[in-house]
Amino acid sequence: MNALRLNLPMIRLLVAKDWQLFQTQLAACVLGGIVALCLIGLATGWSFYLGSLLMIIVLVCAACFSISSSLLAERKEHTLAFVMSLPVTPLDYYLAKLAGNLITFLVPYLLLLGGTIAVILLTPLPDGLLPLSLVVFGHIVLAYALSLSVAMAVESEGWNVFAMIGSMLLVNPLIMAMGQLPVISENVKTDNIVFGPVLASVLIVQLLASIAIVVISGWMHCRKKSFY
Amino acid sequence: MQYAQSNAELFLSASDSTPMYQQIVDQITAKVRAGDWLPGQPLPSIRELAAASRVSVITVKRAYTELGQAGVIVTRHGMGSFVAESPELSIQLLQAEFRQHLDAMLGSARRLGLSAREIRQRVDERLAGPPSESTEDSTP
Amino acid sequence: MSTAFSLAGVTRRYENFALQNIDLSMPEGQVMGLVGVNGAGKTTLLRILSGLALADSGTVEVLGRAMPAEQVAVKQELGFATEDMRLFKTRTLRWHMDFVRAIYPDWDEAYAAHLLRRFNLRAEQKLAGFSHGQRVKALLLLNFARRPRLLLLDEPTTGLDPVARDEVLEALADVLRDEARSVVFSSHNTRDIEQMADTISFLHDGRLLASRDKEDFLDDWRRLVCQGAWTPEPADWPEVAAVRRNGSIVELKLRRFSEELLQRLRGQGLEIRSAEPMSLEEIFVTTVRAGGAA
Repeated sequence: MNALRLNLPMIRLLVAKDWQLFQTQLAACVLGGIVALCLIGLATGWSFYLGSLLMIIVLVCAACFSISSSLLAERKEHTLAFVMSLPVTPLDYYLAKLAGNLITFLVPYLLLLGGTIAVILLTPLPDGLLPLSLVVFGHIVLAYALSLSVAMAVESEGWNVFAMIGSMLLVNPLIMAMGQLPVISENVKTDNIVFGPVLASVLIVQLLASIAIVVISGWMHCRKKSFY
Repeated sequence: MQYAQSNAELFLSASDSTPMYQQIVDQITAKVRAGDWLPGQPLPSIRELAAASRVSVITVKRAYTELGQAGVIVTRHGMGSFVAESPELSIQLLQAEFRQHLDAMLGSARRLGLSAREIRQRVDERLAGPPSESTEDSTP
Repeated sequence: MSTAFSLAGVTRRYENFALQNIDLSMPEGQVMGLVGVNGAGKTTLLRILSGLALADSGTVEVLGRAMPAEQVAVKQELGFATEDMRLFKTRTLRWHMDFVRAIYPDWDEAYAAHLLRRFNLRAEQKLAGFSHGQRVKALLLLNFARRPRLLLLDEPTTGLDPVARDEVLEALADVLRDEARSVVFSSHNTRDIEQMADTISFLHDGRLLASRDKEDFLDDWRRLVCQGAWTPEPADWPEVAAVRRNGSIVELKLRRFSEELLQRLRGQGLEIRSAEPMSLEEIFVTTVRAGGAA
């Protein structure tokens, strides 16, 4: 891939198109997220459990919607050929898809992340929840990056669904494993926000791995020989 | 930019057994003979005629070439094609018409299996008398 | 005169099919018709020209530029429509027209409006509600209205009712007016190719059998109905593509007709009853049945 002449106007147009197509799902996710935050904020046993479950579901949905409505739908409904007939290179298309996906995922994600942090810190909920919550949110990003790269590479709907749901469900064992760590189990019910080296490295690995996956799969995708 | 029908259109049929270029040649020849297009009048450009009549450019080119060879039109390099101004044009056209009919008659005779002698016999018979007198009809 | 496109030694392999060693080019201002059975490679060829697929080997040059290196510049002046291309279902035709107009400065809104009327399409209708024929016409409209220098069309009239087909051919004929614009189209409606193409390219089994001037190509073929006892042996008579006999009548399909050939056939004792030109459809079927030697 030598041509670094990116067709920015086209990329902008394609991203705008994806954004437009995503509006209703975006609204649903934000709405669901707000309900989840309210439930968490109530801080009773059952509402906290329900709320956090709902939150995870909403985040997973946000990730999956953004991937499926733009990438998978485009392939299944054969609109990819139309888009590739426009003056874009495969790299332009990939970047537009990536940007579009990131935006349609990150907007609800960051809103909900901010909302969650606010709810934890500002309500009677123990602030010690914060590190664990961040690890959960970090895992969602990693699972998202993985699902995105699978979607770019593989056409089979089966594999894509497996990648999305499978990676997201791993959040359960992750929470349990994290719960075993002394830094978490000692502090989660208190107001002490303690990260510790293990937790910090988990967060850093999640972030770096997400970026690496996206970059590598993008590079491999652009060397693909045909589009359809 | 007009999209309406220009008067360059010829009426060609894909289902007609005559080749397209021949249909063009025939129609243009007929128009010249009838006076639709006058001697010296410029012909539509090849592309214009092709687009209006919905045939390929190459077919029109071929038709124009044949019309040029038959003397019906004259092509001046860089200026386009014009109806020929030759005073003997109508005679040339009639000659061409005669040749065409002659070829068709001979083809028909071949399909009937007539020999050259039989053909000449039939021609002489027709030249000698009106069509109602056929040799099969033996009433005096 | 500049070339609309030029392929040299182009090869593309798929699992069950390979386009092999294609050498093909076309000067600007012409119309090329691609003829071939399903799976012969017409769509693959068009996809390579449009940049949707990359050749495994060989060089591809479109509108004077190397593909895929300069695909963005090429696609700015290229129109491409295939049978299985789809537009965005949840959007209206108007949305698509605005989308395309924002991308291509050459979009002619007046001509687009004219085509909307001619094609009898409703701009405010969502694509999901379009029938097959309407969808094909919508895709063609989006291409025609920006007057691209090169149009690559895969089966533009296939599956259309006769009225729609007529409308599409009219829009296609309009392209002929401009000597700088070219068209390559594939079609099962060989009549369309016979009528509109300047050059006919014959694909079979991934190979280019022939690419010739249409008039010369059609002139070369004749269907003879003869009477006589002798039958030509295809091995000895390469000009004969097909032979059928019923009693004393024998039908010959000739791929390289000439008066001299007729004389030779007569010399074998055959009496030639009629010699008729063949339609492109007949030529196509005969060639494929004869094992793909054109």
